[in-house]
Order: sequence, then C-alpha cells, then structure tokens
Amino acid sequence: MTLPPSFLQQRLPLGDLLDLRAFSDVCQSFAELYRVGLKVFDESGNKLVDVKVGNADFCGYIWTKASGREQCVATVGRVKADAIPEAPSPTTVQCFSGCRYVVQPVLYEGDALGRVVFGPFVPEELDALPATLTSISPDFDAALAAGYMQKIRRVPQGTAEKILKHFLDLVDVMVFTGHKNLIAARLHIEAVQESYRELQEKNRQLEESYAKLKELDRLKSNFLATMSHELRTPLTSVIGYSEMMLEGLGGPLTAEQREYLGIIMEKGENLLQLITSILDISKIEAGRVRLVLSEVDVAQLLKDAVATVLPIARKKGLKVTCDPGHAPRLQGDREKLRQCLVNLASNAVKFTPAGGTLTVSAEALPGERVALKVTDTGIGISEEHLPRLFDVFYQVDGSTTREYGGAGLGLAIVKSFADAHGGAVTVASKPGVGSTFALVLPVRPRLEPALTPVTPATPVG
Amino acid sequence: MVQLNNEAREIAVKVVYYGPALSGKTTNLQALYQKIEPAVRGRLMTLDTKDDRTLFFDMLPVFFRTATGLKVKLKLYTVPGQVIHESTRRIVLQGTDAIAFVADSRRSEAASTLAYWNNMLKNLEANGLDYKTLPIVIQLNKKDLPETRQGDELADLRRLIQPPMVPAVAIRGDGVVETLFELLTLCYRSLDRNLGLDTRWKIGEREFLSRIFDHVDKRGTALAQEAGPR
Repeated sequence: MTLPPSFLQQRLPLGDLLDLRAFSDVCQSFAELYRVGLKVFDESGNKLVDVKVGNADFCGYIWTKASGREQCVATVGRVKADAIPEAPSPTTVQCFSGCRYVVQPVLYEGDALGRVVFGPFVPEELDALPATLTSISPDFDAALAAGYMQKIRRVPQGTAEKILKHFLDLVDVMVFTGHKNLIAARLHIEAVQESYRELQEKNRQLEESYAKLKELDRLKSNFLATMSHELRTPLTSVIGYSEMMLEGLGGPLTAEQREYLGIIMEKGENLLQLITSILDISKIEAGRVRLVLSEVDVAQLLKDAVATVLPIARKKGLKVTCDPGHAPRLQGDREKLRQCLVNLASNAVKFTPAGGTLTVSAEALPGERVALKVTDTGIGISEEHLPRLFDVFYQVDGSTTREYGGAGLGLAIVKSFADAHGGAVTVASKPGVGSTFALVLPVRPRLEPALTPVTPATPVG
Repeated sequence: MVQLNNEAREIAVKVVYYGPALSGKTTNLQALYQKIEPAVRGRLMTLDTKDDRTLFFDMLPVFFRTATGLKVKLKLYTVPGQVIHESTRRIVLQGTDAIAFVADSRRSEAASTLAYWNNMLKNLEANGLDYKTLPIVIQLNKKDLPETRQGDELADLRRLIQPPMVPAVAIRGDGVVETLFELLTLCYRSLDRNLGLDTRWKIGEREFLSRIFDHVDKRGTALAQEAGPR
C-alpha cells in the first residue's frame, strides 16, 4: 500500500500563500505612508498588487506621445521581467523619464517566489528632466511635465532601498504565516482523510467477518432443521412400537416390562418435544414461520394450556388456577399461541418448588390488546439475567451441573411467536418470590409481509 | 522520494526526525536553527494545535546552490511522537529521504524506544520505503542523564539494520550537528546512487556537505577538529 504524495514538499505560488485582499490593504497603506508606488509580482510575472501614488499625471502625459508610450512599456517590461539576482539585495531600474524603480525578489525557503517593485520615485540628485524624456516628441511640454513630476516623491536612493527592505521583511512574515496556516489546514485534512481511510479499511474487514458469521449462522440453522427432521423419523418409530407393545400387540407383558416400556415412551415423548422445539427455532431463524390465523377463544386457549401441564404440576404438588377473566376473542394462530402458553406454564412448573401456586390468566388491555399471563411463586430470576432471557439457547444457570433441564429454546420460541403476532412478551420477577410472564397480543394483528397468513384474515366486523 | 526538477535544476530532499514523545526531536531542530546561519536556512515552523493535538510537527528548511547551479532544498521535519498522531506521523514520513531516529538513551526508556523503532519500520514499509537502503542514523540523546544505555545494551535496535549511532545532549546542542552531518553524509551517498549527483550534476560529497556545514556554528563539535579550515 502506498499513500498518495503529500503536499508538504510542493512548491506553492506566492498568491496561494498570501490573502491577496488583506495583502493589498497592507500594500496600500504602506505606499501611502511613503508616498511611493508599489507593485508585487509572482514568479510567473502575474501582477498581484499594484498601488500607484503620485505618478498618474506625469506618466499619463508621457503616455500621450507615441514614443513615450513605447518606451514606457519597455521600462515596465524590464521592471517586471528582467532577471534579478536571487539575493536579498535591491536592483535599480532606471526609467528614461528620469524616475527610478528599485526591485527585489521575495525569497522564501531559498526560492524566489516573486518580486516587489518600489517606485517610481524621483532620485534626489535629479536636477532637470533628462534629454531621454524631453526628446520623445517635438511638441513635448517640458514645463508641464516638470510640474507633474513635482507630484512624485523625491527620495534618496539609499532611503528607497531601506524602505524596500523594510517592506520585504513584512512580506516575509506574511508569507511565513500564510504558509504555516496552509500547512496546518492541509495537513489536518490529510490526517482526517488518512484516519477515514483506516476506518474504512477496518469497516470492510468487519463487514467481511460479519458476512462470514451470517453464513455460518445460516448453515447452523439449516443443519438444525435437517437434523431435527432426521431425528424425528426414527424416534416416531421408537414411540410407536413401544405403544404397540404396551397395547399387547406383541404378546403379553409382565408388570416390570410394562413399567420399562412406559418410561421409554415418556422419555421418547420428551425427546420428541425437544426436537420439535429445535425444529421450531430453526424455522424461526430461517424466517420460515407461517401464522395460520383464526378467531381464538381466549378462555378455551387457557384451558387447553392448563390441561397440558396439569398432570405434571399435580405430580409436583403445585396448585394450578385458571382465570380467563373477560378477555375478548382475538385473531391469531391458535396452535402457536397454545404452544407459547404451554412453554411459559411448563417453565413455571419447572421452577416452582412443591406447594407453590401457578396461575394462568387473561386480561383485556387498553388499545385493543389482550394480556395472557402466567404467574408462579417460583425461584424467580435476578435482574441481570432479564435482558438476555429471550435469547436462543440462553439459560440463567448455564453450568453443566445445573439443577433444571431444558435446551434454552422455550422462551426464544415464545418471543418469536409473539413478535410474529405483532405482540410482545414481558417479564417481571423477584428472586425467591416468583415471576410473571405476560404475552401481550393485539386483538387484530397487523402482519408483516413475511408472515402472511395461509388463510386470509376475515375482515374486522 | 527525492524530487528532482530537471527544468528548474533543483532537488528537494526530505529529512525526518522520528522518535518517541519527549525524546528531543524538536530540541534538535531548535538547536540546528540556532547553529545554522540564516543564509542557508529559513524560519523554523512549529505547528502545535494545543486544543485538539491532531497536528504537531516542526519544519526547518535548509537550502543552497551548488557551483554548477543546482539548487538543493532540504526540509527537516519532526513527526509527532504521541501515539494518537499515527496518521500525521505516516503523512510526514511519506516520501522521506533520510531519517534521524532520536532516542532517549536512558535504560528506563528502552521499551518505548524499541516500540517506536518498530513502529517506524512498519510505517516506512507502509509508505513503500525500504529501510534497508534508506539513510538512517540513531541519535542517543540525553547522554547527560544517569542510567543511559551503552554498547551491547542497544542490540535491540540493531536487529534488522545497523545504523550509525551518535551520542547527544540536544538540550545543550551537543551531538546535534554531528547527527545531521552523519545523516547528510549517508543521504548524499544515497542521492548520488539514485541521481548521479557526482557524475551527472558534478557535485561531490565534500561540496554537498560544505555548502551547509560551512554555514554551521561548529564550535565544540567533533567536526570542528576534524574538518579544519575549508
């Protein structure tokens, strides 16, 4: 990787180093102070500043004569373009009119960036108009010209040179300051661009790793879906044949064999349930959930869910109550909502010690919403775990020697199904006191395109 | 890389003073500014934005014209030592023709010195510069302080390349001129290889160096004895 060339080593024209408007003001005031004209050229001969003081009438009169005009142009050309030594000393340029200019280069870091022309002024020793001027035309009016010349300042050569040096000292500081500001600004920009380039490079790397991770995640979901399916097929046979044997289709069984088969069947069912959950979550993650919407009777839904967990809750010695309240009928996927409630209620059973209470209730909320609640008097969940509770595979007790089983999928499924309905699942819990999970659902869900119902929703009547 | 402008008959050479924060880079340039006559140097520019500290560097131009009329313009830069200035450091380093690595020679600074040394080699590579051929001089600064490293203790800096090392107390101006002399000697040889300074431009090593060092206050330096009247 090579960086683009920096401006640091570039040579800059005088006009870029000075603020020309402000510089003109300085020149103006300087020229007025000394009552002598001032011109500044850059190294290519472009005029940056031109202040005329006192010579307008004199030069204007000369300009009216053809020969005067011609010689004037030649003088100005010499002042502007004649080679001058690259040294901090003045060069004198004599005008045919008797006036004079002093010229000195603007030196900066050893380079001549341009030149300053001080003049025209009348040298102190000039007594009369020179012949080179009076002879430019037969009708030249010497008295008039001499009168005009009075308006041009008379200066000793040495003084003119000193004034010029003084001015160049000023220019040097202005150029240095300008250069410094320019470098600061340009370097700032380059530094920002460089940082931006670095950030972009990092962003690109991050995007790449993110894409890789997403691909891996997709592969994992696919794998889960395929595997769950493959696992289910033989498992159904295991359960089916156990059932057949229990029914005596394979001949009479002893009480012991019967008991063992019962255990095989029960554990088989457990395993099937777990595999079904994994299949569900992998479908959810692959975005393949489809809601089948219909009118759902909330009271019936609650009763179904309670009936599912009742045997195991009784076995554990829990009191179970069901309170449908006056919840309205809602539109939703009955099977998925039932699964949500069963998941929540199973968790409640799992985490509530013997003698505890489990309540499944419903409540109408403002804004055409219904809350389905599962409340227990279980061990509760401490606050730090609440934010991640609904993440896939997340378990409050993640240790391998944990007391409670489960794959960490139940709540993630509940959240996904609630989201699919345009609802939400919330939790309030206090360790040692109990937890309340609430499934808040809109009575009429507005569905996202990905979740288009298989059977069209009936219009709200 | 060195810029050679055939038409204007001038070459621009970039010399960078690199090193950890507070190792004495700016002090070197300040001392040189004092010791070099204004005839061959410009103003010392110090950029120091105190409020945000994203920019920080110094620049001292040194220039001369050879007998054959070639103008040589050297710009001496310091780079910001603070870690946060990584990008500015890289910009200043880009296209450099010679490097003076200013190291705080105390034992306590050995680790940070090595880190900067490696950082420099990395940045040189990032700029497409080959540190194996680039003129580099290490200045062992702050020799007046106790607990400075000697001889073998500097092997960590000599692992990849073996640059000359010049002891210095930059704050007193000691060793500053010697460092520049050593560096510009290497620099001349490198430019000569690349541009043919001697054969093509008729500038010998002696002329190249004396154009600058004849205008340097060499009192109290090693150069004062060895050079003699030129």
